[in-house]
Amino acid sequence: MIGVAPPAYDPAAPTTATTLPVGAASTVRAYVAELFRRHRRAFLLLITVNTVAVIASMVGPYLLGGLVQRVSDGTGELRLGLTVALFVLALVVQAGFVRQVRLRGAMLGERMLADLREDFLVRSVGLPPGVLERAGTGDLLSRITTDIDRLANAMREAVPQLAIGVVWALLLLGGLVVTAPPLAAAVLIAAPVLVVGCRWYFKRAPSAYRSEAAGYAAVAAALAETVDAGHTIEAHRLGARRIALSEQRIKAWTGWERYTLWLRSVLFPVINTVHVLVLGSVLMVGGVLVLHGWLGVGQLTTGALIAQMLVDPVNLILRWYDEVQVAQVSLARLVGVREIEPDAGDASVAPDGREVHAERVRFGYREGVDVLREVSLRVPPGTRLALVGPSGAGKSTLGRLLAGIYAPRDGRVTLGGAELSRMPAEHVRSHVALVNQEHHVFVGSLRDNLLLARTGATDAELWAALGAVDADGWARALDEGLDTEVGSGGSALTPAQAQQVALARLVLADPHTLVLDEATSLLDPRAARHLERSLARVLDGRTVVAIAHRLHTAHDADAIAVVESGRITELGSHDDLVAADGAYAALWRSWHG
Amino acid sequence: MQIQDLPYPDPGVPDARSGPRLLWWLWRNQLGGQLKALAWGLLHFVAVSALPFCVGLAVQAVVDRSGERLALTGALMLLCGTAVAVGDTFLHRAAVTNWITAAARVQQLLARKAAELGSTLTRRVAAGEVVAVSTGDVEKIGWFVEAVSRFTAAALTVVLVCVGLLVYQPSLGAVVAAGLPVVALAVLPLLPRATRRADVQREKAGRATELASDTVAGLRVLRGIGGEELFLDRYRRASQEVRHAAVRSARMWSLISAVQVLLPGLLLIAVVWYGVQLARQGRITVGELVTVYSAVMVLSYPLQHFEEIAMSYSFSRPSATRTARVLSLRRPAAADAGGTDATAGGGLAEVPRGELHDPATGLVAPAGRLTAVVCGDPDAAGRLAERLGGHPTELGRSVLLGGTPLDELPLEVARTAVLVQDKDPVLLSGTLRELLDVPASGAVPADEALAAAQCEDVLDALVQGSLDAAEPMDARITERGRSLSGGQRQRLALARSLITDPEVLVLDEPTSAVDSHTEARIADGLRRLRSGRTTVVFTSSPLLLDRADQVVLVHEGEAVASGTHRELFDAEPRYRAVVTRETDDEGVLRDAFRELEEIEESA
Repeated sequence: MIGVAPPAYDPAAPTTATTLPVGAASTVRAYVAELFRRHRRAFLLLITVNTVAVIASMVGPYLLGGLVQRVSDGTGELRLGLTVALFVLALVVQAGFVRQVRLRGAMLGERMLADLREDFLVRSVGLPPGVLERAGTGDLLSRITTDIDRLANAMREAVPQLAIGVVWALLLLGGLVVTAPPLAAAVLIAAPVLVVGCRWYFKRAPSAYRSEAAGYAAVAAALAETVDAGHTIEAHRLGARRIALSEQRIKAWTGWERYTLWLRSVLFPVINTVHVLVLGSVLMVGGVLVLHGWLGVGQLTTGALIAQMLVDPVNLILRWYDEVQVAQVSLARLVGVREIEPDAGDASVAPDGREVHAERVRFGYREGVDVLREVSLRVPPGTRLALVGPSGAGKSTLGRLLAGIYAPRDGRVTLGGAELSRMPAEHVRSHVALVNQEHHVFVGSLRDNLLLARTGATDAELWAALGAVDADGWARALDEGLDTEVGSGGSALTPAQAQQVALARLVLADPHTLVLDEATSLLDPRAARHLERSLARVLDGRTVVAIAHRLHTAHDADAIAVVESGRITELGSHDDLVAADGAYAALWRSWHG
Repeated sequence: MQIQDLPYPDPGVPDARSGPRLLWWLWRNQLGGQLKALAWGLLHFVAVSALPFCVGLAVQAVVDRSGERLALTGALMLLCGTAVAVGDTFLHRAAVTNWITAAARVQQLLARKAAELGSTLTRRVAAGEVVAVSTGDVEKIGWFVEAVSRFTAAALTVVLVCVGLLVYQPSLGAVVAAGLPVVALAVLPLLPRATRRADVQREKAGRATELASDTVAGLRVLRGIGGEELFLDRYRRASQEVRHAAVRSARMWSLISAVQVLLPGLLLIAVVWYGVQLARQGRITVGELVTVYSAVMVLSYPLQHFEEIAMSYSFSRPSATRTARVLSLRRPAAADAGGTDATAGGGLAEVPRGELHDPATGLVAPAGRLTAVVCGDPDAAGRLAERLGGHPTELGRSVLLGGTPLDELPLEVARTAVLVQDKDPVLLSGTLRELLDVPASGAVPADEALAAAQCEDVLDALVQGSLDAAEPMDARITERGRSLSGGQRQRLALARSLITDPEVLVLDEPTSAVDSHTEARIADGLRRLRSGRTTVVFTSSPLLLDRADQVVLVHEGEAVASGTHRELFDAEPRYRAVVTRETDDEGVLRDAFRELEEIEESA
């Protein structure tokens, strides 16, 4: 048979830049060591019950060997009754402990897996808001779904099974040494074949399986997209192309299947050869020894049966070894999140007053490219400032700096004289909140969805907050009031209701300054009428910085800042700017006719 | 079918009347592969079962002090070993090939079905189901179809070994033959409960994953407002529930493992007990006793397949039923009225030209002009836009293009003539080049369309976000364009529609998430690029309305007035009401500001 080369296209290769770090080998090692330490007792228990189970499983061959010896010797006393009784006893012990091995293995695996996923979420939830804004949640999301999924198998099965397999194989070899040392040596004849075969296989297998799995996922993803975009695909007559794409993905996936099948086509004969070599060398070497009178027939029988039993642990180890290798990559991605420094902030930095002030601020996402250049701005308490300007001019970035999410590269953004970037995120948000188009309704009860803004709030306070944004009407009509499950899977809230929930959260959190970014852009226009009062109540008495897409918004603000290419080019009230007859005035005229 | 020849040139027409029929159809269509797996399987299992005879022969040779027979046994073992290795490898190859070809065939069928259903899919509950079938059910179906031949080989081997033992050593063989069925079938009653518990575990795991991804999806909200601990606690509870369910499920599986040790063990002990007595009476040799013992030990391997086939069937039957249901979906008759063979044709019928006329509303879009439509109710606007494309999901009088009813043209031709870009156009993942490579007239180059839709900053953002694309066209767009903002997505979708350059282009709120500065420039670009072509834009933005050749006001399902933006604005109070009411988004914020002033003034 001719070899199969791995396909050129690797579906597992990353296509978008990884936005969050991937753990270094040392971090992964340290984490694994910590995991082992935490579960030391469970590991020891698993190995103990496994040892008992394996030893009990060797009693059968041992007793049969004795019987064979006595029958072939023809010496009188067989003690058959006693032997059978011991047989049964050993079997019952073996069955009981095999059950324990399986159960303890699962308990250990599940405990480690639970630790891992909970650790990961704890870390994710502690990420600095700036990192989240910049990295987005996509990378995190794929880690918590795909990578946890891949690790689930490894933790749940591979790690305990590998531990079991290794102990099992060693004990069987030990049993062989005890029965007849020369037979143990005979087993080793097969070892070089196994080592060479496995090295070849495991050098190639893990990455190939990863690509194969990614390839299969890509097949399903293509179909999911075809279904999701059904409308667009029909309108643009893309049906035939989608079929072609699906088939191209199937080809890529099956290419990897074919490659891994070839890898196994090498591994399988190797393993089979090893098993037959083991059994054959034990029988042949042992047979010759018996013929020379250096070994008993009973020992030979026991040895041959134990050699036959070696098949299972060896297969077990080979079966799970590559799974553990594949899991390492996922583990590195999960552990990578631990490498991001949680920004501690200085709890002693506290604002004195409410004025937001940006002084000669420079900022950029990449080295050498400034999105904001020398921006200075003063927002007195209680004023409403609108930021207008073309896409990509830096409005949203400026808003995020004013909300303390990013730290400026140069210059300072202060609140009541205190630098926002030096305050802990948990403190900043009690003063300033960024409201964007994400009106995420969490899966869970309506109560949970509100409590997040003020954890200790009573039901009365929650109702008051809902009332403040005119949401108590529909909320009271819900079947189970605050306990009603909302979010995906629960009773679906309309976009307007979701928006009201988001507003009610602001009422509860009660920050004195709000930065609104496209806060209403995803809103259903028909629902808009009902929301203006809600929004007005929330804005009442607070400082508001609104990033405005529509000029009418700007018209009614106290002050307007026109942002162009990272600078504030015009600043003043609507009437001032129209009178100044600059860019704003021109646009206003074209808008207003 | 070999793996390297996949995908199938034509996956065939499945028998989707029921789940079992679908399984049967898949099996029948890979009969060759099944027979191959059966043959290799027989070789493998029989060779494995022959090894114990070698062990017995070797022990007997030693007992009889015959070096020659020991050597002969060694040679026999070599032969068996070769057969085991060859059989195992080729059985595995045949089985995996069967699995993959079955899975690939179903995936191909699903892709074709999804493309055929097109826009009708998203309106049905079926959308989620198609995806669920593709991700979860296909594997299980493939597993069962493949396992049939392997199971048959194993079952035949078990029978063969029993017969062999009966011939070789009748009395011991009889004990084995009597005991084996019990051993093979004993765990079957436990399986349904075990799989049920596994299902519960999977369900809880799914719930925990959902909570985790939901928390991460809303993480910016959590970090911005608070409540991290609340959600962590909730996740910890769910995660621990998964753990408990998993352990509960493991209890059942560990019980099965114990039974699988105990029963064959008891059979072995019976064999030993009875065999030793026979040996002592001299009725069987020691070697024969070892053979039978060893044979029973080895038989546990083919016996596992009894359990596997039962499990794979119980898993794959519901999967096959779901798949059959999806594969038997059809486009609703209403959407296909008149249009024969919706996907196949194309280019056969002449694409009509002329003005677009909707008899239901009285809306007329003159050929070669830019018509803006103002409609107070966004839902009605969406329905009207869809109807303008022909073949709508709701039946009614057909829209006429140059006097030809669109519904009477084949779907492909109607879609070629009129492109309707709905309110929520989806960006398909892939490179920008792939995204923009749509069936088109060829008259509008990509860079012109991108420039007209004001996409420069989108291109920059794409290059920044991709791994190694220096050229924007090679930059990758993630699923649904999630890495882009709403406004950026809208502009790319508009560019794609402009490249298509259809006879009639219908756009529903194409710039609702774009800022005024950019919108004004897009309006100019759109006008320039579509000059001489028929364009209909549903909008309420003055920046777009002002640049239209003609504006039509649709009120309560009827075109009530038309003229330029200024004419209508001055003369038509209903129009003024809609346009100044700004059905656009930020009207809310503006009104909130106003409202606030009132509150403050009255205070």
